[in-house]
Amino acid sequence: MESLQYFLPQVWFAILALFLFLYVMLDGFDLGVGILSITSSDEERRGILMTSLSNVWDANETWLVLMGGALFGAFPLAYSTILNALYIPIFMMIFGFIFRAVAFEFREHSNRKFFWNYAFGVGSFLAALGQGFALGGVLAGIKVDENGHFIGSTLDWLNLPSLLVALTLIQGYVLIGSTYLIMKTEGDLQKTHYRTAKLAAATTLLGAILITIATPIFYESARSRLFDVPQVYFFGALPLVGVLLVGLLWRSLSRQEERGPFIWTIGIFLLTFLGLAAIVFPYIIPMQITIYEGSASASSLVFMLVFIGFLIPIMLAYNIYQYVVFRGKVTGDGYG
Amino acid sequence: MEFLHDTVALSRMQFALTAIFHMLWPVLTTGMAIYLVVVEGLWLKTRNPDYYHHARFWAKLYVLNFGIGVASGVPMEFQFGTNWAPFSEAVGDFFGSVLGFEASMAFMLEAGFLGIVLFGWERVPPVVHYIATILVAFGANLSTFWILTANSWLQTPAGGELVDGKFIVSDYFEAIFNPFMVNSVMHMFLATLETSLFVIGGIAAWYILNKRHSAFFAKALKIVLAVAIAVAPLQIYVGHLSGEQVYHHQPAKLAAMEAQWETIPAGQPADWSLVALPNDELEQNDWELKIPNGLGYILELKPILSEPVLGLKEWKPEDRPHLLGLIYYSFRVMVAIGFFFAGLMLWTVLQWVRGKLSDAEIDGQRWLMRAWIFAAPLGYIAVEAGWIVRCVGRQPWTLYGQIRTADAASSLPPENVLVSLCGFAIVYSLLFLCALYFGSRIIRKGPDLNIPVPIFDRATSLPVKHSPDRRPLET
Repeated sequence: MESLQYFLPQVWFAILALFLFLYVMLDGFDLGVGILSITSSDEERRGILMTSLSNVWDANETWLVLMGGALFGAFPLAYSTILNALYIPIFMMIFGFIFRAVAFEFREHSNRKFFWNYAFGVGSFLAALGQGFALGGVLAGIKVDENGHFIGSTLDWLNLPSLLVALTLIQGYVLIGSTYLIMKTEGDLQKTHYRTAKLAAATTLLGAILITIATPIFYESARSRLFDVPQVYFFGALPLVGVLLVGLLWRSLSRQEERGPFIWTIGIFLLTFLGLAAIVFPYIIPMQITIYEGSASASSLVFMLVFIGFLIPIMLAYNIYQYVVFRGKVTGDGYG
Repeated sequence: MEFLHDTVALSRMQFALTAIFHMLWPVLTTGMAIYLVVVEGLWLKTRNPDYYHHARFWAKLYVLNFGIGVASGVPMEFQFGTNWAPFSEAVGDFFGSVLGFEASMAFMLEAGFLGIVLFGWERVPPVVHYIATILVAFGANLSTFWILTANSWLQTPAGGELVDGKFIVSDYFEAIFNPFMVNSVMHMFLATLETSLFVIGGIAAWYILNKRHSAFFAKALKIVLAVAIAVAPLQIYVGHLSGEQVYHHQPAKLAAMEAQWETIPAGQPADWSLVALPNDELEQNDWELKIPNGLGYILELKPILSEPVLGLKEWKPEDRPHLLGLIYYSFRVMVAIGFFFAGLMLWTVLQWVRGKLSDAEIDGQRWLMRAWIFAAPLGYIAVEAGWIVRCVGRQPWTLYGQIRTADAASSLPPENVLVSLCGFAIVYSLLFLCALYFGSRIIRKGPDLNIPVPIFDRATSLPVKHSPDRRPLET
């Protein structure tokens, strides 16, 4: 029983990390395409951009709903404290989601598409911004009392490092969105996104470098964790591998490869994610409450594992199937 | 305007507002998904192109409502953390798990197969498409199951107890099968089905009344009729069972539903109040019209009750539900609509049996068609009214008898909640107006009977020609 209390929260930490990673990767390109649509030169291009997402956006967004539900069940304390602390960024994200989701339906039926185009683009931007601030806010640390209840103020999440995280996340989304569009489009539109991908790769790299430098300076609590032996080797290697991956991405963009850029970008996302997970683990509210302190009871974790655990491969399978069914380029008229 | 500085009141208003608006969309799509399964099944069986065109036409309304349902539903989940943090922490073990099940089993299934249902007609074999349609409908109804399980558990918490402010679950299956669960799930399942049936029926009636594609939409009306014959009376029966449950498990709510201030002891005749003016301050009804022995028949099917009906005065004012008039009249509105539906059913079936719904004669049924159009929005009103009774009547408890709403709310600056509340009020009103506007556009435009019916090669059962698969909504 003793070992279960260590094992189960770790399993759930891993499951949540998986859900979050899938979400960031899938809705990441989704939101990125949305942000890119603001810069689309004409209606036809915007139509193609939205069509490229029409059959996947809500399945992609569902990974977040799933993450939220699983966090609520597995780590109720973290769920309540973090969301309570991040009231404003969460609602920023939610209102962004609302606008972009309904834009898909309303734009189709509307004669004046202008408003819904911007609802889609600005909504995507707002959602990404809210997520960035939320991530930055969590990393900066949430003020809690000894029971893990939030005691800070409602603007704690707003500071320079979290702004940096938010902007970098947006750039990252634009990058993965661009590389997704490289796969799904042809001709001029594809050329445009080779350019946006390069631009976004450069700005994302810049942001990542700044965050790497800023983390030990601003986040006191992370400092000791980063520089302890043996972690220091791992955290030292991360940026090096990161730079290598960016180099490979750059090369594939220059060679105008179709799938390569998307795959390398996923590599960069994965690496960043591993880095974050390594900094955070074993905390669920970073540097305050560990997964062992914040988890639901062992019986509850087992119960959820039985119900959700076996569904994970099934969910993955049918989501992949959907991508297989709709593989190939998007043309002006929808799927050709 | 004291409530403007009261975080708990504002959070409650925000949750109520988002719930009331959100519910409008899934309540339609959950039932309509089943209807889509039926028409696609009829198409595969009969190969009659009309059914294929029905499937494509109703899918347009389906996806419009589904999209808004997702957009308005995501905030619901997050509010538990943002506005109800102490509650979320206390009940996370069970309530949070159930929300996780809803997302993983139900919502993901629906979202994962919807793309194929909408855009996959020419990309997958018909059997695969049909399976996708069935899975979408199954996922939607599984959502109803889990959400109603979670809500029923809040009404009749079971399977554990509150220890040091945290609900410790000892038996998860006892918690899932809490006293309210089976009936509540049934009541809501029938409500979504009934709402969608009368919306579909109402729209079909509108076309028939306007002599547009009468024969085509008479088919829709008959499918609706075939299901609603069973659903409308069954719903009244299940509703009655739900009322009985409230009587046994939440007597304070029952007293509020009936505006019953004084206890009626066992063995005495119990009158049913039909119309009343409840007065919170004087603790009495200023005026009321009663049906002698009515309550006895409603609760136990006999004039004299074998158990007492507790009056509101049995509880201290702070332990009673407030907004009595709202609860009292919402309940009556819901019941009235339930009976109206059953009556309309009876009338329509009578006309069907008399042969008045045949393609030749259906155009003449003008009053019947008008009644169906009138019925179209009533399902929504009944569902909203029912939920008001269910959740306002539960007050002052969030977890019935265990956690008070006042203790369940996050401590937040009221300005924050006020801003998000106003944001929701504006955005959701906009969504509602847009849904009406674009929905009525789809209806006015009518079905596109020129979409080519997919032709399949029997040997491979793959589409023989790849015509561009347009969005079904393409204007």
